[in-house]
Amino acid sequence: MRDFAAQPYPSTYHPLPRRDTLIRGATVLDGAGRRLEAADLLLREGKVAAIGPGLVAPDGTVIVEAAGRWITPGIVDPHSHNGNFPTPYTGEDLLHTDANEDTDPNAAQVWAQHSINVQDPGFSRALAGGVTTLQIMPGSMNLFGGRTIVLRNVPASTVQGMMFPDAPFGLKMACGENVVHSYGDKGSFPVSRMGAIAGQRTAWTQARKYLEDWRRFARGDGKPPDVDLKLDTLAGVLTGDIRVHVHCYRADDIAQMFDMAREFGFSIAAIHHAAEGYKIADLFAREGACAAVWPDWWGFKREAFDAIRENAAYLHAAGACVAMHSDSNISGQRLTIEAAKSVAAGARAGIRIEPEVAIEWVTHNPARMLGLDDRIGTLEPGKFADVVIWSGDPFSIYSHVDQVYIDGALAFDRSDPARQPGSDFELGQPSAARRGAHAP
Amino acid sequence: MSRAAVMRVLAALVLGANALIRVADAQAPATAIVHAKLYTMESVQPIEDATIVLREGVVLSVGASLEPPAGARIVDASGHIVTPGFMSAGTQLGLLEISSLPDTRDYALASGPLGAAFDTQYALNPNSTLLPRARGDGLTRAVSFPDGSPVAPFLGQAVLLRLAPDPADLLERAHVAMFVKVGGAAAASAGGSRSASWILLRNALDEAGRYKAPATGVAGPRDQLLGRLDAEALQPVVAGRMPLAIVADRESDIRQALRLHDETRLPVILYGGAEAWRVADELAARRIPVVLDPTLNLPGTYDALGARLDNASLLHAAGVRIAISVLAFHRTYNAGGGARLGAGLAVANGLPWIEGLRALTTAPAAIFGMSDHYGSVRQGLDADLVIWNGDPLEPASAPLQIWVRGVEVEPGDPRERELARRYSPLRQSEWPPAYR
Repeated sequence: MRDFAAQPYPSTYHPLPRRDTLIRGATVLDGAGRRLEAADLLLREGKVAAIGPGLVAPDGTVIVEAAGRWITPGIVDPHSHNGNFPTPYTGEDLLHTDANEDTDPNAAQVWAQHSINVQDPGFSRALAGGVTTLQIMPGSMNLFGGRTIVLRNVPASTVQGMMFPDAPFGLKMACGENVVHSYGDKGSFPVSRMGAIAGQRTAWTQARKYLEDWRRFARGDGKPPDVDLKLDTLAGVLTGDIRVHVHCYRADDIAQMFDMAREFGFSIAAIHHAAEGYKIADLFAREGACAAVWPDWWGFKREAFDAIRENAAYLHAAGACVAMHSDSNISGQRLTIEAAKSVAAGARAGIRIEPEVAIEWVTHNPARMLGLDDRIGTLEPGKFADVVIWSGDPFSIYSHVDQVYIDGALAFDRSDPARQPGSDFELGQPSAARRGAHAP
Repeated sequence: MSRAAVMRVLAALVLGANALIRVADAQAPATAIVHAKLYTMESVQPIEDATIVLREGVVLSVGASLEPPAGARIVDASGHIVTPGFMSAGTQLGLLEISSLPDTRDYALASGPLGAAFDTQYALNPNSTLLPRARGDGLTRAVSFPDGSPVAPFLGQAVLLRLAPDPADLLERAHVAMFVKVGGAAAASAGGSRSASWILLRNALDEAGRYKAPATGVAGPRDQLLGRLDAEALQPVVAGRMPLAIVADRESDIRQALRLHDETRLPVILYGGAEAWRVADELAARRIPVVLDPTLNLPGTYDALGARLDNASLLHAAGVRIAISVLAFHRTYNAGGGARLGAGLAVANGLPWIEGLRALTTAPAAIFGMSDHYGSVRQGLDADLVIWNGDPLEPASAPLQIWVRGVEVEPGDPRERELARRYSPLRQSEWPPAYR
């Protein structure tokens, strides 16, 4: 049987050099719904070893005093274009980018990992914002945008060196305006929402047959089908090995996607953007799909006109899985602030969400979306030691990320320039040079 | 009653029907906000337990523990922070509804004869849904500027808005600045080099300086590049009455702007200024203000390779006056919240907290010549006031009560509030939401 989710360009990621570390006396939001005061966190061999008061460190453990500071799991951004839409932007990006293969509405054969520029300065800025894991998405110009890739936010010279080992693949799908505009404006299929759905159903129908042909072959019945890279991806969804991430704004569009998933027997991991998720919050809860949302983006296109700041809180109140996403290398540096805005909107609407719950929106829940919550997203013993130490309340604009640990290694330290990675692109740029009396 | 208030009543009297309303207003009781932690913007420290009395659109009196006048409506601020209404120095408010739909966009020209003469005042839509949202986030004033014309390097002329609820009151002043844009992406419209942008700008100022309104039927010189409308539009600029707002990020362009200022003595405002920190002392020496986006810390373009989070802090330390305009859609769709987040981030990166507030009040007021009526809380100034539920520079904070020129307006976004009410999980119904 063909493995539709095989990774022929596999991860070569190794954790950065690390030492066992005990962080002491912090306010901890563990990502699993708990808040601990004056708690310690022991990181051993890249894993969370223990959490709680008065932990004792074995000899040789690095001690970090964190009284007055806050600790959270590493931030997970489930929707980033770092690497496939790298800065600096130029006029060229108006013509083509590495994020969209918008030459055919079905681009299920393309893989985001083949576009990543590891020297995008966005990665190090996100790290300074506490982001330890990112999902890089193909763009939304296609019905099937291609496969997503999950990265560890560590510097490397190849994308293989950043890829999260054994992370499931994702498939990016899109509904609504972007696809219809990107093709309709050129006068080619699809020019309408009903055309878009027809294009997706046609592809799933082909994928179903492709999968059945492979299964027949596996039973020893006849010749193997010709390998089709598009149908590989879709068949991988049908076998449950590839997770589905749908760019979709409107409530009625989202409901079509849930029905499509039922028609073809797959499940949707997350609806991204979900501007009108609040109108069908109970549907999200029933379907079990996460909603990856912005706190306050609205109005910039027709399908975003009804986005409200209460969206995340309403979805949460209905029992749905809520995650903050960035889709931006600017707000992606401050996902806790994004969460804070949504929490505040909820409070104004009478829905109280505690910090220990809100932190799940940027840690545990995006990890669930990516199928990685068995490894990251919380500070429970045995989980990967992805940790952020904040100078204060992570939901305050005035707080800074002091340290970031990835797999137990100190990947970023605000007080140590030797632990502040930067892109090759930014080296030796005269206009970026710190100089004179104003140097920090 | 202050001189400004007297003038306003007199102006109303000569406007017929309006006068009746104004006279009625004058007899209306005052409003007294009591127990406020008031940042007047005139000193670093707040006035604790402040009383602010407003009537007839202006502030009548301000002070610690003042007794409210008899008959005044009392608003208890309960120790919350009160500030002037905020101002964004750069938006497209009133010129934009849904940015993906060309029919609803009026802030840029793709073709036609207009450049410097592109004056956005005639497009302003007081019923835009973006206006009450910005106001409900604590923004009471805004610059709205054009963002493109086919006549390089001109973008057109900005307007000054007051976000009052009366549609007739939206436009505070037109012709507040002449916007030009130079650098990377903008160079294409000048032919392909930013050098052409500067040459065209200098030529336009030169031609405008020599321009005489033609007698009927008399054309200008045959080799004049500037059209009649653009030349006329530039008259207040060359006379030094309308500042030149130069949108530029790269150090070389900022230095060209300084050079132009030195040679012409024309007032200049720098917009963008990602690399302005590199020219901070020179900007300060010339009193050229910078309207910047404190969230920019990536080399977003080849013109902004020097972008950094402490740009605002470094400029302030050098003595440069700064105001805020964040980029992308927060500039307009979240004009209030976006500007506050920008100021908060500047503070997180070294700008003194009170200067974050000033970048949203007194600084833009001074840049746009509004200090006689807006920017601080002082007797006789317009009663633009916000009671906040927390630190206004925290993105999670929100206004509790808002006054624009003395008129109380609702906090929050009214359209958003209707949607949130209709779909609230706290109120269920067997009927579809459209009936709620």
